[in-house]
This record gives sequence, C-alpha cells and structure tokens, in this order.
Amino acid sequence: MIQVIDLKKQYKEAVVLDVNQLDIPTSECFGLVGNNGAGKTTLFRIMLDLVRATSGHVLIEGEDVSKSENWKRKTGAYLDEHMLLAYLTPDEYFQTLGKLYNLSEQDLEMHLAKFKELFNDEICGKKKYIRDLSKGNMKKVGIAAALVGNPEVVFLDEPFENLDPSSQIRLKKLILHEKDDSKVTFLISSHDLNHVTEICDRIVLLEKGKIINDLRDKSAMMAELDAYFTG
Amino acid sequence: MIFELVRLQFLKSVRSTSFAKSILVTLLLGFLALLLLTYVFMAGLFLGRILEEVAEGQDPLVTLNAGILFFFLAEFMYRYFLQQLPVIELESLLHLPIGKKKIINMLLIRSFISPLSVMAILLFTPFAFQNIMPELGTAAMIGWLGTVVMISSSLHWFMLWFKQRFEDSLLGVVMVFAVVVLAGGSTYLGWFNLGEVVQPFFELASQSFIPLILTFIICVVAYFMAYSYYLKNAYLEDLVKEEQAKFLNQNFGFLSRFGLAGEMANLEWKLIIRHKKSRTFLMLSVFFLLYGLIFYTNPDYQSEDGGFRKIFIFVGVFITGIFMMNYGQLFLSWNSANFDFFLNKKNGLQALIRGKYLILIGVSCIFFLLSTPYVYFGWVFLFVHGATWLFNIGITIHLMIYFALWKPKPMDLNKGAMFNYEGVGAAQFLMVIPLLGAPYAVFLPLSYFFNDYIGLAGLAILGSIGLMAFTKLSAINIRRVHLKRYEISSSFRQEL
Repeated sequence: MIQVIDLKKQYKEAVVLDVNQLDIPTSECFGLVGNNGAGKTTLFRIMLDLVRATSGHVLIEGEDVSKSENWKRKTGAYLDEHMLLAYLTPDEYFQTLGKLYNLSEQDLEMHLAKFKELFNDEICGKKKYIRDLSKGNMKKVGIAAALVGNPEVVFLDEPFENLDPSSQIRLKKLILHEKDDSKVTFLISSHDLNHVTEICDRIVLLEKGKIINDLRDKSAMMAELDAYFTG
Repeated sequence: MIFELVRLQFLKSVRSTSFAKSILVTLLLGFLALLLLTYVFMAGLFLGRILEEVAEGQDPLVTLNAGILFFFLAEFMYRYFLQQLPVIELESLLHLPIGKKKIINMLLIRSFISPLSVMAILLFTPFAFQNIMPELGTAAMIGWLGTVVMISSSLHWFMLWFKQRFEDSLLGVVMVFAVVVLAGGSTYLGWFNLGEVVQPFFELASQSFIPLILTFIICVVAYFMAYSYYLKNAYLEDLVKEEQAKFLNQNFGFLSRFGLAGEMANLEWKLIIRHKKSRTFLMLSVFFLLYGLIFYTNPDYQSEDGGFRKIFIFVGVFITGIFMMNYGQLFLSWNSANFDFFLNKKNGLQALIRGKYLILIGVSCIFFLLSTPYVYFGWVFLFVHGATWLFNIGITIHLMIYFALWKPKPMDLNKGAMFNYEGVGAAQFLMVIPLLGAPYAVFLPLSYFFNDYIGLAGLAILGSIGLMAFTKLSAINIRRVHLKRYEISSSFRQEL
C-alpha cells in the first residue's frame, strides 16, 4: 500500500528524517511513536506531499506522491488545523467536502451518522464556526473530515490529544470498526502508548528521524515501549 | 511594573512576524508616515497664508474658526477607520497578577501614542504661534490651541469607546455616515452651515479660558467613558466576540454552475464575509466607487478637444478593479490558515485558484455595473469604465496574480485591515507599476497615433482576447502555484 524508500529530509546541515525502507501493507493499523522532535509529523507531511523530501520517495499504491495527484482521492488526513476551513460551520464544511468528493446528501448523512456518538451532539446543526469550537471538537471535525469519501488510507496526527476520555474510547472503537469493515489503512502518531498499543498492529519507534524499532508482536509492544520511554 | 509592561510591548512589536520578516516594508512605511506628518506640518506652517488666499480681506482666524469643525469631522472619519483598538493584547495580560485597572489604563494611554494624535497639534500649532500670538497674545494662543487639542483628544477617547461598542456592526457605519452627511451635506446643500454655528465657540476660545476648561472636562469624561467601558468588559468573551452566522453568509446558487471552481468561489465569498480584514477591504472598495466624483465633476479635468483626460483611464481602472487589486494582491495569503486543506485534495489547488479568479472577476463585474450611473456625467465614462473593466478582468488580473505569487506570506485575517501590513511584501509594492502601467502601455500609443477612442477600443479588444484565452492564461498561474507549493505551504505554517 505505502512504501517509503530512502527518504531523507534535511534543513541545511540538520538531518531531521532518515528512513531507509518502510512498507505498510493494506488495512494495517500503523502506529508511529517517538519523543518530541523525533520527526513524526514531518514524516506524515512528506508522505502527504505537504513538505518536499530532500531525497527519496514515498509511494502510495505504486504512485510517487510528489509526481501525481490521483492518490489524494484515496487518502484522508488530519494533521492540524491548517487542514480545516475554520471559517465555516462544521455542517458547511462537511457539505463542501461532500461536493469535493462527489457525495450525495444521503452518502454524507450516512457517513456522518457513523460519528454521531463521537460528536455527542456538539458538532452538527450548531451555528458556530469551526474556529470557535473547542480544541477537542475541532479534532473531531478534522477526523470525521479525513474519513469522508471512503479513503483507503487515513493519516491521523495525535488523534487522541485534547479528547475527553469517553471520546477517546469512542474514537478507538471507530478506528477499529473502519479498519475491520472497510479495510482502511490507518497511520496514527500518538504519545498515548496505551491507546496505540491497543489499536495498532504494528508500532514504529522514531528517534531523531531514524526508525530505531519496528514492533509487530502485540503482546510485547507495551513492555518494549515502556522500557524505551522510561529510559 | 509599568516599565515591565512597556518592555513587553516593545519586544512584541519588534518580534512580530510582520516586523522581523520585512525590514524593508517597515522602513518604507516609516518613511511614508514621516513624510505624511511632514506634509501636515508644512501645511500647518502655511495655513495662515492659505486662509488669507481662500478668503481675501478676512482675518484668517475668523475663516479658520468657521471651518475648523470640518477638520474635526475629517478627524472623526479617519479615526474611525484608522484607530486601532488596544484590546488585542488583553488576552495575554488578563491572567497575570496585575490589576485590571492598571492594565486598562496602560492600554488606553498606549493607544494615545500614535501619529493620529499629533495631527491636530502639527497642523494648528504653527498657526497659533504665527497668527494668534502676535495679535491676541499668549493667553489667547494657549486658550485656542488648548481647546483644539482637547477636542482632538476627546475624539480619540470617544472613538475608542465608539468603535468597541459598535465595532463592525452596520449601525456604527451608518452613524458615522449620518454625522458626515448631516454636517457636510447640510452645508453643501445650503440648509445650514454647521461651521458657522460653532464659530463663536472657537472665537471665545481665543478670548477666555472657558472653552479650554470645558473641552478639558469633556476630554476627561470621554477618557473615563472609554475606561469604564473597557474595565466593565475586560473579559475575553465580551471584547473578542464570537460571531453568529449572518445574512450574506449564504451560498450563491448561481456560482455552483461553475462546478468545483464555483464551489470554491462560494467558499471564498464566505471567507471574505466572515473575516474582519477582508470585510473591510470590501467595504473600502465600495467607497472607491465614489472616486470618480472627484475627477469627473471637476472642471479642471473637462475635455477640450473631443477626447478626454488621460487620467480617466486610471480612474476607470481603479473604480472597476479596486477590489480585485486590493484583495487579489494578497492572493494566497488569504488562505494561509488552510492552505494544507487544498493541497491535500485532488486538484485542490487548481480549484482554489479558479475559484479565486471567479470571485475576483465576479466582484469586478458587479463594480462595473454599480459604476454605470456615471453615465450621467457623459457617455464617455461608460466607455472608459467598460474598456478598463474588460482590460482588468482579461489581462491585469493574470499579471497581478503572477506577481502576488512571489513569496506569499501568512497573515491573520481577524485583525483589522487599516495599517495592517501583514502579508505585504516587496511584491505588493512593486506590482503597482505593471498593474497601472499595462493599461497605459496599450492606451497611450493608440491614443497618440489615432485618438482616445481607438485607445479605449484597444483596451477593450485586448481585454476580450484575454478573457477568451482565460484557461490558457490562468493555467500559467496555476502551474506556478503547483511548482511552489512546498515553499508556500511551509511559509504559511511559519516554518521558515
């Protein structure tokens, strides 16, 4: 599904990302962890062609992301508020997305129905612009937007941050459900080790731009991560 | 404590992104401001002589006293548009262990330190020294000048209250208009001359200290009015209001006809209406519709030989294209907060830019239609507007966007538009030359070799060709954005 080959990002002398080889198969739930400044967001941004790689390639279904745009149809992402149109109300925002993805009203309604529990009646039907929402609610809008149009790959940066505990649990359920039912590939970065180890099949540990561990054994994940982060 | 606050203010202004990133712009603006103030001061130096010229045989002081009200009207206007409210900083100070009263006092006093506050002083001090002191003595000079300065500062405090109270609401604009129309219009139409009504008051100011004391009291009252209003509302929810979705906020059905680009144009319209900065741009453009009145009715600009003044091309370009140029020069900066959204969609950039084109052309069409009443002054103005309009939307628009794509900078759309140079770089200053030069480059040779109307036809024909080649021409700019997408998006994320 996704291949990263010899990827490198350099700002002048400082190498912030250096990934030799990374393959992510379809419908894998891929977790990315690492301390601040490890390069998680940069990696996601390069994979989404928002930032130019100094060298190397990212392929989504065999397409180089910096060369074509077809992959964008199959990819959803929510990294930060820059991906929202904060001057719209959530309803207007979803309608706009619906039009961009050629969804009918019913399709959109069906899609949003999946998020009913997560939204907790605080998002839809409110006359409030996205910029005036709380951080948690803004995140919920972004996550729901990333999943519009039945994407095959979804990138989420810190999806659990700013969410209340019940929303975190609902989001986890939602991700697992999408993964099992629609075979969506998730790429999730998070600082919350409990959540990532619970939902991810595989966790990659990033340190100073390099992959230092690739954990696939679910039972041993938590212990290994614990050992790393407690130092 | 006060010193610490002042230091913080200083650091804030020095370190703000717009300052540090464009020293050049800052220097240029500083220079312009200085130049402007120098002009005001020079005008002040010659005020006495100018007044003698205007009303021969009359005492300049009498003339000035009869007209000074109109200066204050103008001051009222420019203060309304230019004066900045000091509440923006409140958010970062409120939670600190500093008394609210102290913070408010500091913010208010700081707001007073501005070029706007010295305008009256610069303009009238030389006059007071040259004309009043020799004739009526020092006491008269102090009384008169003091009264003028007190009124000017009262306006400052009053405006702080007024703008915060009615900010951005239609009511506020209507009230400002009402004041101007009532005072200026009534004199113009000869109902009553407000200037002469208040003349005795200023007359008295040079004879006794009563007006000075009176205006001083007014000034203090105005200060405390602003002070108590700010103090009472020193909560984030009150001063930084959340807006509700309003009228004009809706989609324009007909835009959807243009497919995805139409959808983006709808989005852009919402962006314009829902942000303070863009809204002000739009409102100002409506003002500029009146620009023609200055030129078209002026006998100095009447034609002598069947043609028309060359400057009318400039006026036409301005009237039909002011919004396009004003708004368009910051082309992508308007989307700096959500550029990634478009990057992340298939053909998102293309749709965004097409949508922007559509909205710019659309607004330009509306302005052209709104300008048709100028036909009252002669058919020639309709032709001028038509030709410049076609040229604007056919040719200039591409030129402008081409220049605007040279290092776009991020900006905060919720700040006011006046004297806010966020997002402005060297490109925005330099692009004026081709934008105003291009129509003349077409018009002047044709008008020289044939006549003015052939020149107009040339503009119209070239503009129409440009419109027909729209897809091709816009593709150049779309490609440019596509090529520079990484630089633009990282500068919008402020990663430089």
